[in-house]
Formats: sequence, structure tokens, C-alpha cells
Amino acid sequence: MEELLTLLKDGHARTTELLAMELNTSREDVERKIEYLEKMGVIRKVSFNVKGCSSCTGCPSKGNQTVCKGCLPEDGFNNMGQMWEVV
Amino acid sequence: MNACATIALLGQPNSGKSTLFNALTGLRQHVGNWPGKTVEKKEGSFTHNGKEYNVADLPGSYSLSANSDEEVITRDFIASGKADVVCILADSSQLQRSLYMLADYAGIDAPCFLLLNMADVAKDQGKTIDAKTIEKKLGIPVIPFSATDVKSYADFYKTLERAVSKNERISVDNLEKQYEEIKGYQEIVNLIPENAIPGYSPMWLAVKALENDRVVMAKLKESLSAEVYGKIEKLTADKKGAVATGGCKFAWIDDVIDGAVSSKKSTVKLGKLDKIFTSKIWGKPAVILTVLLGLIASFIPALPLMGVGQGILMLKAPVAAGLSSVGCPEVVRLIVTDVIIQSFSYIFQMLGFVFGVTLVFGLLEEVGVMARISYVFDNTMGKLGLQGKSVMPFLVSFGCTMGGAAGSRVIDNWGQKVLTIALAWAVPCGAAWATIPMLSTIFFGPSAVFVIIAILITMLLHMWITAKIFGRHLVKTKDRYGMIMELPPYHKPKWGALFRYVFGRTKETFFRVAKVVLLVCGVFWLLSYSPNGGNGGILYSIGVAIEPVTKVFGMPWQLFLSYVASAVGKEGAVGVISALYSGGSYGAAFTDAMSGGADKANLSTLLLANVTKPEALAFIFAMTFNMPCVVALAATYQETHSAKWTARIVLYYTVGSLLLAFLAYHVGLLIF
Repeated sequence: MEELLTLLKDGHARTTELLAMELNTSREDVERKIEYLEKMGVIRKVSFNVKGCSSCTGCPSKGNQTVCKGCLPEDGFNNMGQMWEVV
Repeated sequence: MNACATIALLGQPNSGKSTLFNALTGLRQHVGNWPGKTVEKKEGSFTHNGKEYNVADLPGSYSLSANSDEEVITRDFIASGKADVVCILADSSQLQRSLYMLADYAGIDAPCFLLLNMADVAKDQGKTIDAKTIEKKLGIPVIPFSATDVKSYADFYKTLERAVSKNERISVDNLEKQYEEIKGYQEIVNLIPENAIPGYSPMWLAVKALENDRVVMAKLKESLSAEVYGKIEKLTADKKGAVATGGCKFAWIDDVIDGAVSSKKSTVKLGKLDKIFTSKIWGKPAVILTVLLGLIASFIPALPLMGVGQGILMLKAPVAAGLSSVGCPEVVRLIVTDVIIQSFSYIFQMLGFVFGVTLVFGLLEEVGVMARISYVFDNTMGKLGLQGKSVMPFLVSFGCTMGGAAGSRVIDNWGQKVLTIALAWAVPCGAAWATIPMLSTIFFGPSAVFVIIAILITMLLHMWITAKIFGRHLVKTKDRYGMIMELPPYHKPKWGALFRYVFGRTKETFFRVAKVVLLVCGVFWLLSYSPNGGNGGILYSIGVAIEPVTKVFGMPWQLFLSYVASAVGKEGAVGVISALYSGGSYGAAFTDAMSGGADKANLSTLLLANVTKPEALAFIFAMTFNMPCVVALAATYQETHSAKWTARIVLYYTVGSLLLAFLAYHVGLLIF
């Protein structure tokens, strides 16, 4: 677990697979540890829920966000993978 | 009837707890609230072999830490001894992960047994689980189970009876050995007497203390002397305990299931494409090649709309002839042909590229390639002093810089946020991407591709230099973190949704661009119009006056005014070019070209006759790297809350774009 956290802090991005390879373990092992660290508040999920731009006029708004069809796909980017960062 | 027993069901969400609860109790259940909490309390009962059982369905939670009300309620209920036996559910198909609840439970003084639920799913995955081996290691009854399978309930009842009668706790010896490796653990355990908090072993309490569990710490403070509590507080002060204790629990889980679970060993392997994308050497070239191929590919879907744009120009002659024949005044005729028809020709050509670029890059996103692109650039981000998540505002900026500025909200560090916005300005936005290829094809034909490549390289260099200049003041090295990214699997695109997005965006762009181009073109045309056809017009006088200065940056005055207009909105630049080069009063060269006869209506030819290639190059660079637009400026101020930094960024981009124009002009002179 400490090794995992050390890797997360060294300033390089890694995918779950690459972490598993570097730690010489399985993907499942890395995934459960990421889940744990997230639940314990050591790392957090990055959410890209900012859809469109706040300062456009004339664009329809959903909830408290303005959805600018000209800027972004309607549901934001939804196939960009999941990112976590160390708190 | 025998006296009744109470069983509590404990499991993580999706462990199949509710299915089991419903199957056991049927209609004999009622739902209420836990006293004083808004957490739902589900209870029920059933009879088996003449014995009455009460069932408490404990709230589903990840663990027994004090992260939520649910978790505190759950563990207090268990430790209170109200349950005669706790039934812990784990997901057989992912034991490594789902046994965490059991590991977190170990050390609580309450009898329990383990259900390896979803045994059917595990079987389908080709896993075989030897429950007996696990049972031996844990010291509590363990059975494979499937809550959805009626047949597995006979075993469940048998095991339940066995568990109630045997009254066994999880054997924690091996777990404790793991914990003993943690620095400070032994000292803390020695400070906590048995029964310090009833129901919890000193080991369990020491671990929670290391995890900085606020509820446990508060209770320890109550029950221990101030001196002892102070010592514990000191030993747990580094707040790093949770990482170590978690590691111990997972190591213990691996030990428990070692030799009991057999599955096809799956070694971690990267797909062929991902091997390239995640490679240190090939990642960047692969991404750059992908983007370039994407841009070149964008030209293909752009062709039909470009054709429409060219076709519109053919309307000029018949419309002009028609208007003259009905005796329309010359001004109106010129407005219709030179402003409206000319503008729409440009607008459709611009739309072609918007359509192409959106389609190709939308497709890359759908398929999963964009995620790889952002992954590859993460390490570069780190070197620029930014976090990996800055990549999202940058990607959004390719569409709209305002969106990029707003998107920078995900970055909580102010300095990094400002730097992200400052760099996002260098990313050519959708309007620039509509203008650059259009102008490039007019001037450079098929070599437009090289202009686009040069723009992309300049963008990267610009961002790098900007980061060096601004970064020093905004970001400290210690603010930089690594990141984990789970890349989505490649999948087939959903064509319907993709085309809806592409057409939606093209339509939006059409209306926005049409408004701006027509308005700007109209205004500039009127300002440069002189009825006698000579070199009149206000703009002409101003233009000629400033031309000595603008020529330094490689731009004739017409292009310089377009550049100024591009600060308002990049679509506007095309409107100005359209007005100034097709307007009635332009100068000798223009009049010559006008009288050229055959090419009369062809503005592209006019542009080529009047603007040299180096001048065009200078303009394209100046326009692209000028400030994105007025609205982006407002968004930047709104996000940074700093007039000072917003002004700095504007000044920097204005100077930078003129400098780039100067460079592009001189490089152009060398080439052409």
C-alpha cells in the first residue's frame, strides 16, 4: 500500500495496468487498494462535471449549469477514463 | 417454540444482502429509522425448525470506519451484542476486494459466519473456492452461497444453526502479526486496556486509532486518563496510519484466501495500442501522429460543405445582373453580393472544417483514443507545473476557450488554475480552427496541412514558453501530484449520438459564425465604402496611415484590422477580410484585379493577387495566437478573480501574437 502511494506521489501518471505491472501485482489488487484509499480519503476522484461554459449567453441551462452545445458534447466528455489524485 | 435468536446481515453495497433479507423474511419485515438518525432500519423475522429468528438488515457500507452515519450505526449495533450472530456477506467473484468488510470486522467481539455469496458468478468466471480451507483459517463457519438460488438456502440454515450454537469469533492471530509490523501499533495496544470500549478488542481500537477514526478517538478520550489518551494522540499524529493498516488488512485477506481460490491466472497485459500509447519513447510521437492524421482526415468530411461555399460564389454574377436589371441602386447590389453572398461563401467553407474536425475528434473520443492522448500528455503537464486534470480544460479549449476557462474550475490550486487558463488561451479554439484551414487552403492549397502542423507545433512551444514565464510566479514544485488514470476500453462508436453531437455543434456554429461574420463584414464594408469608387472610405485613410507600422509585423493594413477584429471574436476576422478585399474602394491593385474580367467574382483570386504568402502566414499566426475573444476574457476574469492577472495574460498574448506574426512573416520570406 505504501509503495502504491509512493508511486502516486512521484508526479507521473500511470494507468491501473501500469501500476499493477510496476508493483508486480494484479489489476484487481490495485483496484481494491485504490478503492480503499478513496474511501479513506487519501485520494479522490476527479470529476469533470463542468459542462459547457458559464458565460455563454443564449445557451440552454440545465440545473445551475449552462450547457453550451457549441463547446461540448451534451453529456460532457464521457469516455475519458477515470482519474484519481492524491488529496 | 424455542427462544428467538437475532441475526444481523452485514455486507458492502451490492453484496446481495437485500436479496438474502427478502428471501429470508418474505412479507414479515418492517422498515423504520435508526433512533435519532435518518438511516433506514430494516427488520424482519422468519421461523426455521420451530425456532424464531429476527433479522436486522444493517445498512450497506464499504467498511466499519466512521466515514458515515451508516458505518457507525452498523458497528455499534454489532458491538452492542444485540445480535446473536452476524452474517457477513462477501462477493465470491471478487473475494480479494469484498473480504475487506470481514477484515475490518475482525476484532469486534461478536460471533459471526461468512457467506461467500454469488458463488454462481464466481463459478461462471472459472473460479473454484474452497470454503473449508477459508473456514479453517478464519475459525468461523464459511459457506459458498447464492442468494438467488433457492437450493443454497438449506446449507445456509444449517450453517446459521451451527454458528449460533458455536458462538465463534474470527481468529485474528495472523492479522495481529501483520499489525505488529506497523510503527507505533504495539505501543498503542499496550495503552488500551481490555473493555476500554465494550465490544471492541484493544487490537481493533488501536487500528481505528491509527486510522484516525474520530468516533473511536472521542470514546477513548472519555474512557482513558488524559495522560494515556495524550500518548495515543501523539502516536497517531502523523495521520498516515490508514495506509499502513489497509495494507495489513489486504495482506491478511490474501493470506486467508491463499490456496483456497483457484482461477485462471490472468497476468497484466497491455493491448497492442496501449503498449504504444503508454510507452515512454513512443507515446508522444504516436499521439502527435494521431492528432495530425485526425486533422488531415478532417478535410475529407469537410469537402462537401466547402464545395457548397464555393458554389455560393457562383450566385454573385446572376444575382448582380438580376438586381441591376430591376434598377436596384448600386449600394444595395454591392451589399448583397459583396457582403451577404461573400460572407455566406466563407461561412460555409468554415463550417466544412468545423464539421470535419468535430466528427473526427468526436470519433476519437468515442472510441477511447482521446483518453490515451490526455494520458500521454499528463507527464508533460507535470513538467509544466500543472496537474494531469488540466488536460481537460485544454481539450475543451479546442472547442471554446470560455469552456476551457470554466473547466479549469476542477483545479483547486489557484496558481495552477490561472496557469491552466493562461495556457488554454494558446489552444486555437473552434473559431480559429474554422478560419485557419480555410485561409490556408486559399493561399497554400494542399500545403495547408503544413500550416496546420506548424500551428500545432507553435501551440505546444507557446504553451511551454508561457508555462516557463508565468509558472514561476504561480506554481510551486510541491504542488505537483501524480495521478492514476483508468483508461476506458476501446469500443465501437455510437454513430447516432456522435452525429447528433456533430450536427448540433455545426448548427450552433453556423448561427454564431453567421451573425458575427455578417455583422463585422457589414460594418467594415460600410466604413470602407466610398460611392465614387475611388480610394475613399474612412478605413482606407486610417489604414494607409498605420500601414508603415503594421508592415513591420508582415501585415498590410487590411489584414491588421482583421487581426484587431479577431480579438473580439475570431470569426470576425473573416468578416473583415471579406469586407476589405471585396469592398468597392480598395486601391489600384484591387481595381486592376476587378477589371480582370473572368475572375471578377472570385475573392480567393483577389486575395492571392493582393496578399503575398508571407503576409498571409503572418496574419494566420497573429490571428490564431491573439487573445481568443472578448467573452473568453470575461470568463478568465470570472475564474481567476484577478484583474491583474487577466490584464497580464491579455498583454502577453497581444505582444506574443504580434511577435509570432513578425517571425512567421520572415520565415515566410525565406520559404516563398
